[in-house]
Amino acid sequence: MRRALGLLSLVACAVLLLEVSPGRAFPAPAGNLSDDTLAIIVNRSNPIEDLSLKELKTVFLGERSHWPNGRRITLVMMDPGLSERKAVLRDVCHMNETEFSRHFLQGLFTGEVFVSPKTLSTPVGVRKFVFNVPGAIGYVRASDVDETVKVIGVNGRKLDDPEYPLRIDVRAAK
Amino acid sequence: MRSNSVAPIRCVDARRAQMWMKRLLPVLLAFAASVPSLRAQTTPDGDKQTIQMLLDRIERLEARVAQLEGTQTGAGKVQPVSAANAPATHPPSGPAAGPAEVPAASPRPQVAASEPEQEMEHLEPERMDMSKTLLRIRGFGDVNFHGTDRKGTTNTFALGQLNLFVTSDISEKFKFLGEIVFESGPDNFYNVPGGKLNEFGVDVERYLIQYSYNDYFNLTAGRYHTAIGFYNTAYHHSTWFQTTTGRPQLFEFEDSGGILPIHNVGLSASGRIPSGGLGLHYVAEIGNGRQSRFPLTEEPVQNEVDENNYKAFNLALFARPDSIRGLQFGFSGYHDRLMPVGLPRVDETILAAHAVYMVPKFEWLNEVVLVRHALDGTSQVFNTPAFYTQIAKRFGSYQPYFRYQYINGSDREPIFPDVGRMEGPSLGLRYDASESVALKVQYDYNVSRHEQNYSGLNLQLGFTF
Repeated sequence: MRRALGLLSLVACAVLLLEVSPGRAFPAPAGNLSDDTLAIIVNRSNPIEDLSLKELKTVFLGERSHWPNGRRITLVMMDPGLSERKAVLRDVCHMNETEFSRHFLQGLFTGEVFVSPKTLSTPVGVRKFVFNVPGAIGYVRASDVDETVKVIGVNGRKLDDPEYPLRIDVRAAK
Repeated sequence: MRSNSVAPIRCVDARRAQMWMKRLLPVLLAFAASVPSLRAQTTPDGDKQTIQMLLDRIERLEARVAQLEGTQTGAGKVQPVSAANAPATHPPSGPAAGPAEVPAASPRPQVAASEPEQEMEHLEPERMDMSKTLLRIRGFGDVNFHGTDRKGTTNTFALGQLNLFVTSDISEKFKFLGEIVFESGPDNFYNVPGGKLNEFGVDVERYLIQYSYNDYFNLTAGRYHTAIGFYNTAYHHSTWFQTTTGRPQLFEFEDSGGILPIHNVGLSASGRIPSGGLGLHYVAEIGNGRQSRFPLTEEPVQNEVDENNYKAFNLALFARPDSIRGLQFGFSGYHDRLMPVGLPRVDETILAAHAVYMVPKFEWLNEVVLVRHALDGTSQVFNTPAFYTQIAKRFGSYQPYFRYQYINGSDREPIFPDVGRMEGPSLGLRYDASESVALKVQYDYNVSRHEQNYSGLNLQLGFTF
């Protein structure tokens, strides 16, 4: 009886700890999503449902400053060197790190770019920022998506579409 | 709890604390009951370690519960959840910090509450208040060596402009931008020297407050670079951004012998024009224009007092087609009335056109400008045409470039009679030693109507910090 009670208490502890462990994401919204899929996320109040890669590029290069609902766009980037950021620079911006940094610096200098991107180091941070800032847009792995943010389609493709265009180079990431 | 989709974080914490209490009590009781059992299965030393570990764990959990209870107390009674009070409990963050909108249906907004506190530092609201500014300063500078066979000049090391570029996000819609430049004399107003040799002075080159309503309308007030052509608004007071060691003669600053009103004080509106893939943009400006009294020995930019009631205005239109990324072409028209000493009033019209193609590895800039001065009450009109073309290709860290420039002003030109004709090629190489440091070497050959032809070599170390 005592052994059973002890075992039960340990199991209860384990369940409790799992329940309160920070940063646990909700499961990805669709099945069969591999870890190399990159999700573009916006605040849930944002009416945008889909952006083309061309539109994404204008957003990620600061050439577009407002959403249709009037909110100013705030771009959230992950730290340099992270595979998610590399994927965005490669597939959306078509720039390397140096070119991207210089582009924004020059845009700020000329006044054409109103605000420089926010840089965060973790998917949790990106999610939280996007959750809190109505005009924010960022990106995380599909497996890091939870229901606090809204995932938008790209080029008319949803996240679970095999033709979805944004993938992380997993080999490079490793 | 999860069904309460718009719960503010503090309310969520309070409820979570209650749930924790409910969950922890039976678990703690179970712990208490299980300790003798665990003890029976281990050695005495192992028992002590295990017990101590478990007690530590319980203490930490108790502390956490106490913390959550404290949060509950601090938050007062749990408020009814509504979108209206949500912003006050969880302010928006980032430069876009405006009135927050709580998502309409967010089943788990409280995820933030369980994150480590250091993560919350990222979510500090970024807006101006009396105790905190969001002033950002970026520096630019350059050190040069000039060698030339021009008569009356010497080979010399020279300090370039030390530029402090300052921005601040005042609110979601407002932003401050400034350029504070330290530079050594002497000045040169249309070949008339001014200022003291080798002495540093301070100029506030840009001083702007910007209002961004949307992509189609932005309003700027203060001292700005006039949107004449391309170069003047693409490059400001930093040589590091520029491929070459300096600006084309056509776009030289007023205090460096330039012929254009580079700076202006007034209002500027700009934005996109709905035009689909053509990517049309506009800029409309009205300001004091430049000081016109001749000879000029004072600041040519009318920062405080305009010499007349007439205001200079400028309208620019340009296109950035989606189909050819990096291409920009457009034109601008500027008009002002100048009142030089001892001369009739001068109507100044400046027409400019440009076509540039700029991608990270290649650039080709072409601009042509016509400065037209018409003396009031006479039939005298003086046209000063000018152009430059510049081409550069990047090979890794190296960027060879070539520029040819031309200005042809009349010797009887009422505003800048000493400019005359100047033209010549420049050939150079830029080497980016790092992301922030560029080394440039440039050879110039100058043909001038007013003096013998001369050549020069410039070495420049430009940097940002």
